[in-house]
Amino acid sequence: MHERLSFHIKRDSALHRLNPLTKIFLVLALILVAFLNPWYWTPHLLVLIAITPLSLLARVGAEYFRAAARLILPAVGFLFLMQAFFQPVGEEILFQFYFLDVTRESLMFAFSNAMRIFVMVSAFTLFLLTTHPSELMSDLTRRGLPGQFSYVIISTLQILPQIQARAQTTIAAQRSRGLETEGHFIKRAGSLIPLVGPLVLGSLVEVEERAIAIEARGFTSKSLKTSLHDIPDSSIDKALRWALAVIAILSITLKLWLS
Amino acid sequence: MNIEVRDLHFVYPTGFEALKGISISIGAGEQVALVGQNGAGKTTLVRHFNGLLRPASGSVFIGDWDAARCSVAKLASRVGYVFQNPDEQLFSRDVGTEVRFGPRNLGYPKEKADGLVERALSLTGLTDKVEINPYDLSPTWRKMVALASVIAMDTPVVIFDEPTTGQDAATIARIAHVIAELHALGRTVITITHDIDFCAENFDRVIALSNGQVLLDGPAGEVLGQEEILARTYVEPPQLTRLGKRLGFKETVRNQEEFLAVVARSAR
Repeated sequence: MHERLSFHIKRDSALHRLNPLTKIFLVLALILVAFLNPWYWTPHLLVLIAITPLSLLARVGAEYFRAAARLILPAVGFLFLMQAFFQPVGEEILFQFYFLDVTRESLMFAFSNAMRIFVMVSAFTLFLLTTHPSELMSDLTRRGLPGQFSYVIISTLQILPQIQARAQTTIAAQRSRGLETEGHFIKRAGSLIPLVGPLVLGSLVEVEERAIAIEARGFTSKSLKTSLHDIPDSSIDKALRWALAVIAILSITLKLWLS
Repeated sequence: MNIEVRDLHFVYPTGFEALKGISISIGAGEQVALVGQNGAGKTTLVRHFNGLLRPASGSVFIGDWDAARCSVAKLASRVGYVFQNPDEQLFSRDVGTEVRFGPRNLGYPKEKADGLVERALSLTGLTDKVEINPYDLSPTWRKMVALASVIAMDTPVVIFDEPTTGQDAATIARIAHVIAELHALGRTVITITHDIDFCAENFDRVIALSNGQVLLDGPAGEVLGQEEILARTYVEPPQLTRLGKRLGFKETVRNQEEFLAVVARSAR
């Protein structure tokens, strides 16, 4: 009935089929190149030749562009404005806004920074769109990530929608008992306890039950665990990871060498 | 108080059409059981009775009120609804306060509320537990607190959503007693249940839903005998009904008295 809290969109594509770790390498490589490459237009080029084609390759183009337009662009745009106005660099004043000067340098600086952030956030968005959280976590656990860590991540993603569903039922139950949840402020403030009480108490009980349930399946057992889901890790994945690692190291050395 | 449902349709935001044209009429004081497989639309249907859901088309009338035009809080004075899980609604420090919550919301004068709370507590066997925190009670008793908290609202219509799930025989008997008392007071009782024996023993009328439509609607004896049709919504007639059929009884029996009566007659 209620869904897991995730961006994941189930489709069949080359990017979906990649191993989650390979996709993490891809995201990190994109971010490192965007931030470290000294050429001014690097982040802009990355959006054009890497991120946009990748979103189309993954067949999540529509979802990606929607996320970019609704979430990423407003945030990055705000960052751009703040830096353009408040960065005290440069001489060549393009225009003034009351006491704030906008110079050519600050504009250039803000633009490139905003684009870097844009690359970072959209690379992550693509990753989240094409990777199921539990697939990512079981792959990382298989590679040696402590189970407790993946539990924290996965349970957070699962618990929120559950609490939401629970809150909805509680609201319905109390309204059925004549509780006025609409109307003016004081009435609504008074209705808070009947709504929050069962939610908190019930969620606490659920946490305990969840802990018992996973322990019953040997959560803290030290022995090696097998997984029901086989997460593919092909030779293409391995080759890609090497290539991406080389690209990342190259950008770091280039940066160190130039500075 | 009559409930009139006319050509009711409902579609969830996910696009799932849960009700596909339901028309039923429930008279004052009737005891109705709603049966049918999971997802048949039982809960969706009763949630229209107290306004928690609004019809996509069609209408629901509770007495002279159009349920689509009344707030849930207003409908609460006519339709009481006991939810499945008591833990999703209990919040007070003691049972007494919890049970008084509904009558207080409905704005009853203190003397009337006192009387209603007392009656609800004694009906559910909670009189000696008034000062206990509901969360110190066992889940079984918490369920009775939830029951009492709705009964105390003294509504002409009371809805129970799967009251017997996970309860032992003693609790089921107590719930049956509560339903009988409500019947004696002339209240309409509508119960969603998968417990077909409970349904056969306590209800005069059974409505079977399947895929958002009424599959069967009639006196319990008639409906529970329709083995093939009930199978379509994964409902199995009570054991005694099936046994009676295998023994070649002409009429449909649904409980021990009816079964024994037929046996006694044929022995003669």
